[in-house]
Amino acid sequence: MRAVRVIAPAGRRSGWNGDAVLASAMVLPAVVALAMFQFLPLVTAVLNSLQSFGPFDRSSTGWVGLDNYRELFADPAFRYALLNTFLYIVLMLGFTIPLALLLAVLLDRRLPGSTFARNAIIGALAASEAVTALIWNQMYEPSSGLFNAILDAVSLPTQPFLTSGGQALVSIVVMSVWKDVGLPMLIFLAGLQSIPRELPEAAELDGADARQIFWYVTLPALRPSLVVALFMMTITATRMFTPILIMTQGGPQGATTNLALFSYLQGFEFQSPGTASASVVCMLVVLALVTAAQSFLLRGREAD
Amino acid sequence: MVALANSDLMSLRRAERRAYVVRHAGGIVTVALVGFIFGFPILWAALSSLKSTNDIVTGTFPLSWSSFVPLRPTLENYVYLFTQLKFQNNLMNTAIAAAGQVSIAVVASSLAGYAFARLRFPGSDMVFALLLLTAFIPVEAIIVPLYQVMQQLGLVSTYPALFLPFACNPFGVFLMRQAFRDIPVEMDEAARIDGAGPFRIFISIALPNVKPTIATLVLIQFIWSWNAYLWPLVVMQDPNKQIAQVAIANLKSIPNFPMDGPLFAAATAVTIPLVILSICLQRYYVRGLVSSGMK
Repeated sequence: MRAVRVIAPAGRRSGWNGDAVLASAMVLPAVVALAMFQFLPLVTAVLNSLQSFGPFDRSSTGWVGLDNYRELFADPAFRYALLNTFLYIVLMLGFTIPLALLLAVLLDRRLPGSTFARNAIIGALAASEAVTALIWNQMYEPSSGLFNAILDAVSLPTQPFLTSGGQALVSIVVMSVWKDVGLPMLIFLAGLQSIPRELPEAAELDGADARQIFWYVTLPALRPSLVVALFMMTITATRMFTPILIMTQGGPQGATTNLALFSYLQGFEFQSPGTASASVVCMLVVLALVTAAQSFLLRGREAD
Repeated sequence: MVALANSDLMSLRRAERRAYVVRHAGGIVTVALVGFIFGFPILWAALSSLKSTNDIVTGTFPLSWSSFVPLRPTLENYVYLFTQLKFQNNLMNTAIAAAGQVSIAVVASSLAGYAFARLRFPGSDMVFALLLLTAFIPVEAIIVPLYQVMQQLGLVSTYPALFLPFACNPFGVFLMRQAFRDIPVEMDEAARIDGAGPFRIFISIALPNVKPTIATLVLIQFIWSWNAYLWPLVVMQDPNKQIAQVAIANLKSIPNFPMDGPLFAAATAVTIPLVILSICLQRYYVRGLVSSGMK
């Protein structure tokens, strides 16, 4: 009886026996670690966001309901950070998803040099955020950097890049697109390689041109990959932090600060756990809302 | 005679190849350009690490050969890095953190992954769903309360603080669970008939069958740990135990003392081996990246 149940794991008849005890013992280290280092901080963040804290020892001075949230939304710096968070998400998705799709289609043709290009993209993806931010920071340098040297050499006006409120955020996004586009591209490549070759061939026999094949055969077949790529890039864009901290520290005048950086600054620089936690909760709400909206929009059109 | 036929064949092939290149010229040029754009910044940093700090600061603008290539190549940055800044200590700390993270991740993820894939216990579905839920929580979001947790545990500025919180992650459990699920149930069955208990089956049947997945897990965890910046920056306040990434970034912010040369040298020393590793093992690396988001 016991053997039969274990051999067919689908036939679930749960209860505490030798196997169940062994199984829970095997799961225990992972569960304890995740409970302590993921769920506990998460719950702490939610609870801290509802309390006020003493200015010096950072100990709780009592429950204050939604006061921290009211204080945050009254703070123009927070509203700016909230807006920037959405701006990062929109720009990152808007650039990476179409570019990743183009690159995947290009590399899927297996032209000479594809391996070189693919390796370069994987290299950018594997390098650390800190190091790539430092390298790009050097290239963006307004007075001695490489980009302005190139602009100057072709007689174009030099640009302030990271030192200007108008260009800093876009400059960070450009660097992040360069670094992260490989991830959705690899997802699309895997998706392209799982499309049976007969599908585009049949379409070609029916007289479809390359563009039609792409829009009506390839793209619909990539829908599952698109869902995954969108989801992963949304998380990537929402949590953008290291490049901002290294390249601009959130400046100039908060122009590049998002919620992740705002919470960090509130928590560690301004020693204000209450508002830091409240903005963390806001960031998680943004993440949940954006991914929920995406899955709603994409599911709405799904035929199967 | 045979040689003649061969050379005929070769010239035919060459003509074919030329026709192919001409037909796809646009695509090939685009591919080459893509490779250049993505490869350039890291190669430029590696080349710049062979310039003196003065050459980096003054030699890039206006554009000339010295913007790209070290015209007076020197190893002084590396010498300074390893004799004055003792960067090898930071590398050692990174290695310690990576070793801790990788070994804990492999053990904890294999155990939990196997239990979720093959064994049943009350509430296993709910526990698995809760585990997966943590994949949605970015590090950046819990950094402040996580620091408080580490403070309460008395672990701030210790080595375990560097790797303990992230060694066990839902990605590893999920990856291992999928791998164990793909092993045919008949293999378990055969071992069970031979009298092996479930843990014995896990050790001697299941684990040897998922070696490629373990390689993927090791590589991904190693790269994550090697590249970690934010958490070590926050939790490690002892400069002697600080990891390489944070030490490199600190070189940027020394007032009135440009460290661009050593900075590029350190960035190169940390990044080039990692990039080569990821390219050589891209079969595992890509599989890990792609499957980390696949359901």
